[in-house]
Amino acid sequence: MLISRKWLSQYMDLGNRSMEEIADKITSAGLEVEGIIKMSEGSNLVIGHVCSCIDHPDSDHLHVCQVDLGDNIEQIVCGAPNVASGQKVIVAKVGAKLPDGEINAGMIRGQASNGMICSLLELGVDPHLLSEESKNGIEVLDENAPIGHSDPLGYLGLDDVILDIGLTPNRNDCMAAWAMAKEVGAILNLPVTLPVCDGMAMQEGLKATLKVASDTEKCPLFLGKVIHHVTIKESPKWMKELLHASGVKSINNVVDISNIVMLETGQPMHFYDKDALPSLEITVKDQMQTSYTALDKETYKILPDDIMITNQGKPIGIAGIMGGNDSKIEQTTRGIVLEAAIFHHVSIRNTARRLNLNTDASIRYQKGIEPLATYKALDRAVQLLIEYADASKIEETVVCGSNHYEPTELDVNLERINHLLGTNFTEAEVLNVLERLHLSPSKTSDDIHLMIPSYRQDLRIEADIAEEIIRILGYDHLDETLPTMPATLGMLDARQQMRRRLRNELTICGYQEAITYTLVSDQRNEDAILGLDEPVVLASPMSEDRKIVRRSILPSLLGSVAYNQNRSMKDVALFEISNVYGKNHVEEHLAIAMSGDIQSSRWQGIKIKADFYTMKGMLISLLSSLGFEGKRISVQPNTLDKVHFHPYQSACLYMGKELLAIFGTIHPKMAKQYDVSHVVMAELTLEPLMKQKPSKVKYMPISKYPSVTQDLAFVVSKDVNVADIIKAIEKNGKLDKEQVIVNIEVFDVYTGEHVEQGYKSIALSVTFQSSKRTLSETEIQSLREQILSALESDVHAILRK
Amino acid sequence: MEHLTKIKEQAKTEIEACEDNASLQQLRILYLGKKGPIQEVMKTMKDLPKEERPAFGAQVNEVKNEISQLLEERKTILEEKEMLETMEQERIDITLSGYRPHMGNMHPLMIVQQELEDIFIGLGYQVAEGPEVECDLYNFERANIPKDHPARDMQDTFFINAEELLRTHTTAVQMRQLEKYHEEGKELIKVICPGKVYRRDDDDATHSHQFMQCEGLVVGKDIQLSDLKGTLSFMAKKMFGDKRIIRFRPSYFQFTEPSVEVDVSCHICGGKGCHVCKGTGWIEILGAGMIHPNVLEMAGFDSTKVSGFAFGMGIERVAMLKYGIDDIRSFYTNDLRFLKMFNRFE
Repeated sequence: MLISRKWLSQYMDLGNRSMEEIADKITSAGLEVEGIIKMSEGSNLVIGHVCSCIDHPDSDHLHVCQVDLGDNIEQIVCGAPNVASGQKVIVAKVGAKLPDGEINAGMIRGQASNGMICSLLELGVDPHLLSEESKNGIEVLDENAPIGHSDPLGYLGLDDVILDIGLTPNRNDCMAAWAMAKEVGAILNLPVTLPVCDGMAMQEGLKATLKVASDTEKCPLFLGKVIHHVTIKESPKWMKELLHASGVKSINNVVDISNIVMLETGQPMHFYDKDALPSLEITVKDQMQTSYTALDKETYKILPDDIMITNQGKPIGIAGIMGGNDSKIEQTTRGIVLEAAIFHHVSIRNTARRLNLNTDASIRYQKGIEPLATYKALDRAVQLLIEYADASKIEETVVCGSNHYEPTELDVNLERINHLLGTNFTEAEVLNVLERLHLSPSKTSDDIHLMIPSYRQDLRIEADIAEEIIRILGYDHLDETLPTMPATLGMLDARQQMRRRLRNELTICGYQEAITYTLVSDQRNEDAILGLDEPVVLASPMSEDRKIVRRSILPSLLGSVAYNQNRSMKDVALFEISNVYGKNHVEEHLAIAMSGDIQSSRWQGIKIKADFYTMKGMLISLLSSLGFEGKRISVQPNTLDKVHFHPYQSACLYMGKELLAIFGTIHPKMAKQYDVSHVVMAELTLEPLMKQKPSKVKYMPISKYPSVTQDLAFVVSKDVNVADIIKAIEKNGKLDKEQVIVNIEVFDVYTGEHVEQGYKSIALSVTFQSSKRTLSETEIQSLREQILSALESDVHAILRK
Repeated sequence: MEHLTKIKEQAKTEIEACEDNASLQQLRILYLGKKGPIQEVMKTMKDLPKEERPAFGAQVNEVKNEISQLLEERKTILEEKEMLETMEQERIDITLSGYRPHMGNMHPLMIVQQELEDIFIGLGYQVAEGPEVECDLYNFERANIPKDHPARDMQDTFFINAEELLRTHTTAVQMRQLEKYHEEGKELIKVICPGKVYRRDDDDATHSHQFMQCEGLVVGKDIQLSDLKGTLSFMAKKMFGDKRIIRFRPSYFQFTEPSVEVDVSCHICGGKGCHVCKGTGWIEILGAGMIHPNVLEMAGFDSTKVSGFAFGMGIERVAMLKYGIDDIRSFYTNDLRFLKMFNRFE
C-alpha cells in the first residue's frame, strides 16, 4: 500500500513531522513501513529558458543551447531530440546531485557545457507514470513557468514522499486512503477530516432508465447509475499528483475519478461509455463459457465459475477484474454508466489467478472490501464528477441486492484486558485510545461499550481490542514475567531419547549427519529401499524433482554422497534420521551411506574401510547400545532387494522375525545411476525398536579365575559360513552345565596360495573361563578335542597343523 | 688389617670405575667369590688366637658388607643409566601427526533444534511432534484459518488432495497437542514443537520449499502476554547471550490475538547497528501472541477459563544468524566441508 505525504495532508495537519518520524511511529503501531520513496530526486535544480538552440558543429544529434537560469545565462550541450529554443526546462546546475550521479562542468566535443537539461527519468520519476513523450526527451514546462525558480520538482508537483506500507491481512481496510488516514491520525493522535459526500448518490434525480439484475449469488450488491452528460478533459493538478503518488497513470478526468475513488474508499468502480452499450441494461452472470477480449486487448477464456458483467447476454466486463475495450471511456464519451458492486472474493481470486490478471480492482476484491464502501464510493464519484466533469442529467441510483451489513457492537472489560496483557492501563488511557480509533466508547456499569466502524471488520472480540490498546500505547509498557502455574516435567520421550542416542553414537564413530529434502522425483521414489507402500504424491508439484513424499531416505542420501564425491571428497560417511511416508502410514528411518575410509592415519598404517563389515559392525553396535543384542538380532542373507544391493555383499537385519534393515554394498547398476562409487549403505526402520523392550544392563561379577585362550586354524569349503563354525564351537563349550567358552574371535580368513581351490582357511581364537574355578589343562584339552571333532563332522573342517 | 683396608680401597676404586653391569658382576665374583681376597683373609682367621677371632671376623664381615653395598649402589646407578640409554634409543618425533579419530557431528539445524529443546526442557516443557503429511483440519481450520480465507495465501501450500497437505507450519502440531491435552482432561500445557515444514517457494538464498520451525505453546489458568515476553526474553538470552534484550512489535497471525513480531537486540553489534541487523540494532526472529479464543474453543477448551500463548521461529533463521550463514540452501546440500564446521556445541 502506497500513501504519500500529500495524500495524508489532505486529511490532517502533519505539521513539521518528518516522514521518517511518521514511518517509525506507524511501524511500531503495526503498519510496517517497508520503504520511504521520494517521487523524484535532485539538488541544485532551476527552471531555465532556452534562449537559443543550434546544432552542435561536431555531432549529428547534439545541440548547443544558451539557457537563461534567471541569474545568468549558461551554455549547455543537450542530446535530447525535443529540445528547442523558447522552451521552459529543468536545468541541473553544475554540482547538482541526481539519482545517477553528479553534474560537472565540461567540454562535450569541443563545446563547453555547464549543466544539464533534464528529463523526468533522469530525476528519478517512475517511468510507469510517464508518457512516451516524457520518457523520450527532456521535460518541457508550461510557458508560464517562472525562470530561475529553484524548486522545479515542487512546481511540477513531483516533490511528494511516499510510504510503502506492508499491510497484515487483517488490516486490508487500510488499502483505502480514508481508512489509512484514520489509522495514521489515531497513531499520531491528530484530528482527521475526510471529504463529506454522504448521500450524494442517493439524492433524487432523473428516473432511472437503467435495469440491473444479478443471476449469481457471487454478486450480492450492485449499484448502477446513469449520468447522461459529462465533459471529458484533463484532470485537475491535485488529482494527477495524488494518482502519481499512488503509482496510477492519469488518463482523463472521468477515468481518473474512478481511480481516485477506488484509492480513497477501497471500492473498485467501473465506468462504461453509455452510448457504447447497446441498451441500458446490465446483468451479472456466471455459468458462461466463452472467450472475451478485455480492456488490455488480450483475449481470455471464460469458464462457468467466472463472474461476468453482461449486456443483452454478451459480456461487457470480467467482474471485479477488468472492463471491456468496447465500452471504455474515450475522448468522445458523452454519458456514462457507473458501477459499484460487491463480488465474492474467492471467485475473484480464482479467476484472477487463472487468468493471471492482478489489477488494482482484483487485488482489492480478493483482500475484501469494507461493507459500506460501495455506497461511499458511489457518493464520492458523483460528487467528483459534478465538480470536475460537469456531470449533469443524473439518474437515480439503481440498487440490486444488499450488503447485508450489521454494525458490530462490543462490550469490553478493562480488568480482563489488563489481565490478558499483564498490564495496568488506566481507564483514562484506554478510553483515549478507543476514541482515537473512532470506536465510540461509552461506559456502562462494568464494561466499556464500543461501536465498531464498518471498515474495522477485524475487530470482533475483546482480545482484538486488547491488541488495539497495547499497539497504540506501545509494547514497551509490557513487563517480562514468567507463567505462574504448577510445575511441569520437562523431558524427552522414549523416541526422542533414542534419536539423540543414535546421533551421539554415530557422530562419535565418525558419521556426519545430513538433512536432505523430503520431496523426491519419480526415480528416487522407485528406488526406495525398505520403502513404505504406496507413495504420497503432490497434487500439483512445482517440479519433477520434487513431486513425491519420500518412502525411504537412501536415494536422497546417495545424492549427497555423489555431490561430495564429485568434489574430490572420497571419505564420505553420512547418516540421516527422518520420517518417511506411505499412504496412511508413517515410519521413522535411519539411513547410512559411506565410501572411502571411515578412519585412517596413513603413516601409521591405520585404515578402517567403508565396507560391508564396517557397516555390519556399526549397526550391531548401535542396536546393542540401544539394548537390542544377542539372540534377538540376526543377520540373514538378503533375499529382499537385489536390485539396489550387490547380491553377494548385502544382508538383512532382523529383530526376531521383524525386518529392521537392509544393508550392504550398492549394486553397480544403482551406483552408476546415482553417479557414486564404492558405496556401502543401510536403511533401517526404527519402528520395531520403539515397540520392543530393550534389555536392561545385566551386572555379572568378573570371574576371579584365569582364562585360557587357544588358537585353532582349519580349512573349510568356501561355502561354509563363519556363523556355522562359531555355532558348532559354542555348542561344545559346556563343562558341568556352565558355558566356559566366553569368547570366539576370528583373526584370519584366507583364500589363495597354499589353500586348495574352493576352500578357505580360517583362524580363530577361543577363550575358556569358568566363574567357579580354574580350568585344568586336561579339561581344556578335552574341550578342544570335542570342538575339533564337532567341526569335522558339522562343517567338514580339516585342522591345519 | 691394613690388608683389608687396601682390599676395600681397591674394590671401591674398581667398582666406581665400572661402566656396565656385566663387569660389575665380574667384580662381585672377584671380590666376594669363594676365591676372592675376602675369603682369603677369612681363611687366615684360624691362625689367630681364639679370643681375637670374633673381632677379626666382625671386621672382615664389615668390609665384605661395605663392598657388597658399594656393588649394589653401583648396580642401581648402572641400571638407571642403561634404562636412560635404552629410552634415548626410543626417542620419537613428536611433531608427526597423531591419530585423530575422525568424529562426525550433528547437522547445524539439529544442533540449534537441540539447543532450543534443552532450553525449554529446563523450563518444564515437553517436546511434541506430529505428522508432516497433515490434514487441512489441523494445519488451517483449527488454527482459525477457514477455507477461502485470504490468510491462506500467506502460506502457499503443497496439497496432496482436498483434505491432505504438507504442513506449512508446526502450528499443526500445536493444534493436535491442544486437542490431545483437552481429551486427556488436562488444562496445563507446556510444549515445544520442532519439525520440518513445507511451502511452495522457489529455492534461493533466502527461500526454501522445505525448512524447519520450532513453535511453543503454553496453556493455563492465568497466562498473560507479559509471560510470553518473559519466556522469550529468557530464550533469547540463552540462545544469543546474556546481554540480549527483546522487543515486541504488533503483527498479525490468525491463531493469536494479540499477535506480535519479536525482535532480539543484535548479537553482532550489541544494538548499535551493523550489516547483520541492517543498521537497526534489532533482528526479527519470532512470531508470537496470545492464543486466539477461537483456537482454544475449537480444541474444546473454555476460553473464559484458560488462556495461553504461542510462539514460533524458523530454525534455519536462528542458525543463519548464529553462525553468519547467508544461503539457506547450504543446509540441504550436505557438503561435508560445510557440515564439518559445526563440530562443537557453543
